Amino acid sequence: MADERRAVVIVGSGAGGAPLAQTLVRAGHEVLMLEKGPLLRTQQQSPDGLSDFKRDELFATGAEKRLTVPGMANIGESYFSSHVEPDLNDEPHVYRDVDGRDRATIEGYTAQVVGGGTQLYGGVSLRFTPDDLRLRSFNAGRTDLRDDPGGDVEREARDWPVSYTELEPFYTEAERIVGLNGTRENQEKPASQDHYQPPLEPNPISRFVAQGMDALGMKRYRTPLAVITRDHEASGRTVPADRESIKTAFVNRYGDPLGLKSNTWVSILAPMTSQPNFELRANCVVTHLESDGDRVTKVHYRDPAGGRRVVEAGTVVVACSAIESVRLLQLSGAADAGGFGERIHRSGLLGRYFLTHCFGGASAVLPDRADKSKTLDSDWATDHCARADWVREQGLWAGGAIYNNTSDAALPISLARTWQARDMDNIWKGYLGDTSIVGPGFEDYLDENFGRRVSVSFMANQVAQPDNRIELHPTVRDKWGRPVAYVVKDWHPHDRALMDILADRCGEILRRAGEGVRFDGQGHVGNEVSRIANHVLGGARFGSDPADSVLDRDCRAWEFQNLYVTDGAFMPTSGGANPTLTIQANSLRVGQALLGRL
Amino acid sequence: MCEAWRYPIVDSYYDGASAEGSYPFNAVTFVYDGRTGQAQDVAVTGTFAELHEPTPLEPVRFLGEPSGIHAVTVRVPKGQVHTYKLRVDGVWQLDPLNPQTQELDNGRPWSRFFTEGCQIPLTFTRRERELLGRLVSHLLPFRLPENSRFIRGVYESLDRQARANQFPLAYKLDEEVGIVNYIDKVVARAERHHLDAYRICLELIDELLRARNPGRDPLTLPRDAFADLYGAMASDQVAGWDTGRYGSPRFFLLLLRRHAMTGAFVHPRHGGNSGTAGWAYLQDRYPFDWQAAIEAPLGDNTDYRG
Repeated sequence: MADERRAVVIVGSGAGGAPLAQTLVRAGHEVLMLEKGPLLRTQQQSPDGLSDFKRDELFATGAEKRLTVPGMANIGESYFSSHVEPDLNDEPHVYRDVDGRDRATIEGYTAQVVGGGTQLYGGVSLRFTPDDLRLRSFNAGRTDLRDDPGGDVEREARDWPVSYTELEPFYTEAERIVGLNGTRENQEKPASQDHYQPPLEPNPISRFVAQGMDALGMKRYRTPLAVITRDHEASGRTVPADRESIKTAFVNRYGDPLGLKSNTWVSILAPMTSQPNFELRANCVVTHLESDGDRVTKVHYRDPAGGRRVVEAGTVVVACSAIESVRLLQLSGAADAGGFGERIHRSGLLGRYFLTHCFGGASAVLPDRADKSKTLDSDWATDHCARADWVREQGLWAGGAIYNNTSDAALPISLARTWQARDMDNIWKGYLGDTSIVGPGFEDYLDENFGRRVSVSFMANQVAQPDNRIELHPTVRDKWGRPVAYVVKDWHPHDRALMDILADRCGEILRRAGEGVRFDGQGHVGNEVSRIANHVLGGARFGSDPADSVLDRDCRAWEFQNLYVTDGAFMPTSGGANPTLTIQANSLRVGQALLGRL
Repeated sequence: MCEAWRYPIVDSYYDGASAEGSYPFNAVTFVYDGRTGQAQDVAVTGTFAELHEPTPLEPVRFLGEPSGIHAVTVRVPKGQVHTYKLRVDGVWQLDPLNPQTQELDNGRPWSRFFTEGCQIPLTFTRRERELLGRLVSHLLPFRLPENSRFIRGVYESLDRQARANQFPLAYKLDEEVGIVNYIDKVVARAERHHLDAYRICLELIDELLRARNPGRDPLTLPRDAFADLYGAMASDQVAGWDTGRYGSPRFFLLLLRRHAMTGAFVHPRHGGNSGTAGWAYLQDRYPFDWQAAIEAPLGDNTDYRG
């Protein structure tokens, strides 16, 4: 078994790995994909006619577990994860908190399952703007930036080595093969073709958001969502006879038992499983890569029973989510400091410029009530605050997308467990701690909130900083004895200025949403370092100068002939929108580049 | 391998033909990890099948090679509790993965599992359940007179078979929408680490209420007695609470709040929300068509099978 050899081995089956796999498999190349998590099928695929994903609130946020990782400041505390997120005690992510102490966090995990984060995400599939990809040029010579006395923005911003024009055909292809619904008009993102399927009727709560956006002159469009609303030719999926039944609040943080949410498994991988040159091995965790000179030669992994295995590889693509990809490269370097380690660390930048998003928003209580259980994740979006003019007027370095959330707090248990909860680490705490919600107070709480809450979010670029980084933790080990990922990051003062402004725009949408709408507050993540939005980006940025980047423009590690990184780690800036569609488009682009080399 | 409490794995069952015909059953998968002992022959026997006919576990393969893990899936009706043992190369033993055991009448421990929607008490005594019922009925509003009538209405609207299936303990559950049963099940399995907290705190509360109300059974005390207790627990200052036995009454109260909220509105497979009374309560007050997304015959959705 150790003598296995494959032309291409891809580590990870999510947004970074799957699109490229399709390109290579279609061209006849032999591809082995290794995925740490299990393969959970849809009803249609499963031999017993049942999916491993359920419409059950305890699947999104399950039984209480207790943190037992030695040395953590939050040892003994509760945490709640979905059924496909890792057990923090087995393999924690550790971050350094503002008090200097280390805490383990569930933030920043995507999902360990075939399809990766695309199984659980809300499906918001926005493009980045052309300016998002050239923020160094955009900000060159500016002196009007808020809260940036040291000139960090101009020093650290990078243009992507790939322009929007070059990426555009791959955005178009990604939108076609993944399967999205939405509308194109009013977007600030030029598109050569429109592959969107028609959106479903918005949830009634969203009309207030539409009114607020209109009152502010914000041009809006239906949020592009990775959920099919019509039969999807590219993947062979079909929709139920009653299309309205596609709308269910079991969407964000739920895998879809019917396969209508366009995760990479149902849209890209499952249709390839009959190809003889493609093999997907689930429950296989890659432990390290081995190299000989400037070529990666072997991929070491553990099989589902924990046995050590090795596969020889002609080309290796690492795409297991930015934090874990960086960690895998660092672990491989640690295992061979003079060889792999010397090469992968040559620029000194591996792990640095780790990014997430500036995000936050506002919420309100509506005058009338709607059935929020019939909805997808978002109805309306606007690029108003992504326009170059607006960004410059505000003294900001970059803009962001704004969209409303519709599935949040839609179901009864999720209403309670996300009550006043800022993130996954303090889920349940707000509701439990508010002991006035009891007896008749509980009924008042339901009357006030059930089916009446609406929120608007922004997702914007975070300033890249060299000290925001992923390292190997010096003491904490995972269940296989390997050092875990250590996240060290903080916000730049300009990030906080940007978040103040964008949170206020979200608030203004709701303050102008119409008669009877009660504004409930606005805010952002600028005061907490752990917040990640599960958008993990950067840490192995691409560029055109080997001294200033980890990867070349085709996402190949500079000092290796055959090692690529195609998840969000490649991004030198984080874009003003949710990252998945851009990761998918870039994966297709790298796949195209690889075709000329294999 | 995932959390030990998940074994044996109790999952939905589908017969390939009809939701109605499949709904009364679960698929239960027994797993034996024989990676270290090189086990060859593994079988399970238990009260879910004929005891004299052990069911063999089959080797699970990876790339055509035995992985050392063995598994078998059997069909078991919902709402049941069973005891079982594994036979590994001729030797009978408890299931080493499953933390649940039950002593039989002869004093010998067997491994135990229960299927979805189980209403049979597993954890608490009758006294503990009744006291727990009083506590949670203060937390959530189902005991307000009008809601009480509503929940009773849900029960009475069910036909006799549905009542037998979903409300075997209806004399208790009509007022607590299955919350006590949910807690009984969650501390039997997924949150066993809270079992001691419940045992100790229920005993403390019982003693405390007796001491405060000499000669009266705490179960017969008026609502105010529980409201006062709730308020004191919320402030973590409960006169007479023995902190040596359990440190923080507030901590226990928050645990109870989480379990009560979950038990009232959880999918009924987990033992709470009996007869979907919690969802029906919401639907009666608000636009909440829960049936649209939930599998038939519990809900109306015929595309999704649960």
